Amino acid sequence: MTIRLIAAYLLMGTGAAFAVVTVLGLLRFPDVYTRMHAAAVVLTMSAVLVTMGTAIYVWDFFLSAKIILIGIFFLFSNPMATHAIARASYKREIALPREYEIDAYSDYLGRDV
Amino acid sequence: MLQKFSAFIFLLIVWFIFAGKITADILIVGSAASLLITFFFSDMLFREVHRKLPWYHYLRKLALLLLFIPVFFYEAITAALKVSKHVFEKNPSFNPGIVKVKTELTDITGLSLLANLITLTPGTLTLDYDRSESAYYIHWIDVETVEEAELKKKIIARFERWVGVIFR
Repeated sequence: MTIRLIAAYLLMGTGAAFAVVTVLGLLRFPDVYTRMHAAAVVLTMSAVLVTMGTAIYVWDFFLSAKIILIGIFFLFSNPMATHAIARASYKREIALPREYEIDAYSDYLGRDV
Repeated sequence: MLQKFSAFIFLLIVWFIFAGKITADILIVGSAASLLITFFFSDMLFREVHRKLPWYHYLRKLALLLLFIPVFFYEAITAALKVSKHVFEKNPSFNPGIVKVKTELTDITGLSLLANLITLTPGTLTLDYDRSESAYYIHWIDVETVEEAELKKKIIARFERWVGVIFR
């Protein structure tokens, strides 16, 4: 049990805990957009932490580089996908928020809420 | 020419990382594949440089980019912790709203990177970017009055300064 393995287990454990928190947030938050917040922020960090922990755990240059590349891809793709889903669900009126007090985007789209 | 060359080198490095070892046959197949992709799609990967800047300018950008990585990880982890705190409240109820935030950036890479960073900061989610007014539409998880929104825009301005210096 070296320091390297302890660090790897710490990172992987933190990532797994964040993933559990994401699921709880998806179940407990009130509407679509707030649920998306949990999915975007916490899930991205959990995936990145798990990939970093795995990269430290295997400790082989090419394997670690491959895993870190997957982590970087996560870091870019997850917020982009979240943004696309949120924009589509607003524009196509799939899940339209009705009770917002400040809503600049509906003015931009030319709707009156 | 520099654009095509850098795209080729980048693709070859990624190929070697995914192949797992460096041998002659992997090099031949990889360079053939990279050459093909570079020939057709190189303008999608890197853009041509329009302005000439002195060489130390790029060195400064690289140093700032490396310095930005720990800052980014610190901000992202604190954001994840803040959202996690909302999850464990007894009754998670918010006052969500959509706010318009102006930006000064013009570079496309910088704009998309800033949109990603806004999504990863606590309680904000980029919905859309308006090109004619150069403004983001941001879904805010907990915004009660307009004054509070003005106060919170400072968080975004901090990221915008980093990105504006790196991608200019």
